[in-house]
Amino acid sequence: MTAATAGPLERGTRTSRTLVRVVLALALIWTLVPLGWMLLSSLKPTAEVTASTPDLWFAPTLEHYRNLFGGANNLWPYLSNSVIAAGASALLATALGALAGYGLARTRARGKKHLSFWIISTRMAPIAAVVLPIFLIFRFLGLIDTLPGLVLAYLSFNLPFAIWLLSAFFAEVPASLEESAQVAGCTNWQAFRYVVLPLTRPGLVTTFVLCLVFAWNDYAFALVLSGPHTQTLPIAASQLVTQTGIDWGQLTAIGTVVVVPMMLVGLAVRRWLVTGLTMGAVTGE
Amino acid sequence: MDSSVTDAVRGADRADRSGQPARRSRIALPGFAGRMMAPGLLVLAAVSLLPFAAVVAMSFSRVHLLGGLRLESVGAANWTRLFGDPDTAWAWARTAGYFVLTVGGEMALGTALAICLWRLRSARNAALSLLLLPMFVAPVIAGLLGRFLTDSTFGLYAWLLRQVGYHGDVMADKTTAFAAVTLMDVWEWTPLIALIALAGLSSVPSAVLEAAALDGAGLLRTLRHIVLPSIAPVLLVALLIRSMDALRYFDIIWNTTGGGPADATKTASVELYETAFRFFDFGYASVTGLLMLAVTTVVARYFVRLLERKEPTR
Repeated sequence: MTAATAGPLERGTRTSRTLVRVVLALALIWTLVPLGWMLLSSLKPTAEVTASTPDLWFAPTLEHYRNLFGGANNLWPYLSNSVIAAGASALLATALGALAGYGLARTRARGKKHLSFWIISTRMAPIAAVVLPIFLIFRFLGLIDTLPGLVLAYLSFNLPFAIWLLSAFFAEVPASLEESAQVAGCTNWQAFRYVVLPLTRPGLVTTFVLCLVFAWNDYAFALVLSGPHTQTLPIAASQLVTQTGIDWGQLTAIGTVVVVPMMLVGLAVRRWLVTGLTMGAVTGE
Repeated sequence: MDSSVTDAVRGADRADRSGQPARRSRIALPGFAGRMMAPGLLVLAAVSLLPFAAVVAMSFSRVHLLGGLRLESVGAANWTRLFGDPDTAWAWARTAGYFVLTVGGEMALGTALAICLWRLRSARNAALSLLLLPMFVAPVIAGLLGRFLTDSTFGLYAWLLRQVGYHGDVMADKTTAFAAVTLMDVWEWTPLIALIALAGLSSVPSAVLEAAALDGAGLLRTLRHIVLPSIAPVLLVALLIRSMDALRYFDIIWNTTGGGPADATKTASVELYETAFRFFDFGYASVTGLLMLAVTTVVARYFVRLLERKEPTR
């Protein structure tokens, strides 16, 4: 858009341009200060983490991270539980979601509307209302404190999300592509596997990443369904809060470990984030 | 593909070609779409319908956990208890207040932020990326971090508040504790609204904006009469998405105030958790769970309807 054709919103007066910058600067401060403070605190010597006046000049140390990964409260099992539970549930959700989402996008069955509604309402069910019966069922089946149990529980919100989102991505692929592939001799499955699936790679990656984030960040399910062998990082973080006090140096270090990977993978799919987070209802770009 | 499946495909094809009613052939032999959906839907049914049946059964029972899992039927006792329970009524009132404040604040701030980002010529992507970061923070970490920042002896924000003359303990006072958990939620989820609203803004046709400029419409009038109406459908999607998640999560409150002080931040989710996992009254907790489910189902219904007339959001 050239300056000559710009409307008032593009051109703007000097005051309004300044206003925009001030608002954004304030928003950035409000957004980033907590995160920056968490990172800084995780690098401070223990005594300075809880200094009564905020301290910006300190000798940075990795002691909290060293303690987390080498000390008595070894974080490795929690980390591996998190990686396995979140990774497996995201992978399964994306795989099953790709099949079901494709079916949902292409089906002309009459019950399609009801089916869609059932899927979406599953995704939106309050966690507290879902975790309650799952706890009882898992107890009955002996799935409490097992990783497969946790993966299955995470599927309760990741699978409907994946089906719904991928079906939105598949709906964007014109059906005529598959038809011509079939004319060329492909079976239904081959048309899906070799024509449609490669075209929706961004959708598959976005779905996987968002499922990973949802499961990795879960606290409510893990709190109830995991036990000593399957606790995940968010549980490890909340367990540092004890009656006798909180080791904030360690807590900010765990916080950083939990948060940074998800920010990286999340921003990696930023282009498709709007589509993903609105489950296909709004498309970006 | 084994032979019986291939036969089924052929059968389905034949049924379609011979003009059989689609309904009959679908029930007898699911087509390709049906077979693609089957594995996913079976798993989904296992993790959603089964728990739903269980929670309904639980809401009419007393649940015994010790000495073997057992449901003892108590009729509608859990449900009738609901209507005479002031604690639950208060929890729902607080849920409504928390919902209105968080979602309302996020909608207003997120839209304003999106408009500012939209007007930014340079560095828009960098600014957006930084502003989006809180969204990826695990809510439990957001809560614990909020607690760290507001701690009365060493919290950064508590220190800032002291500089402006507030010396109280934020988490110990009912009003400030409620405000704090609200602001934590606003911190985490405003970026989501901004992201969605910005996507809507970039599809506002520039021709209309130019016409408005030629007609001499000022900034506020342009925003009010052109920009906001044209992003209204997208804002509605944002509102629905956020509403459903606002009712889903309770991690922040659970890890900061735990519902206190003096129940000031005890929302329906927190109450449900306490009832179930602190007092082990699963029957009564199930009633609360079903009520929450009813609320989100209404929102979901509306969301699906909105998508059925999809064109305005594209």
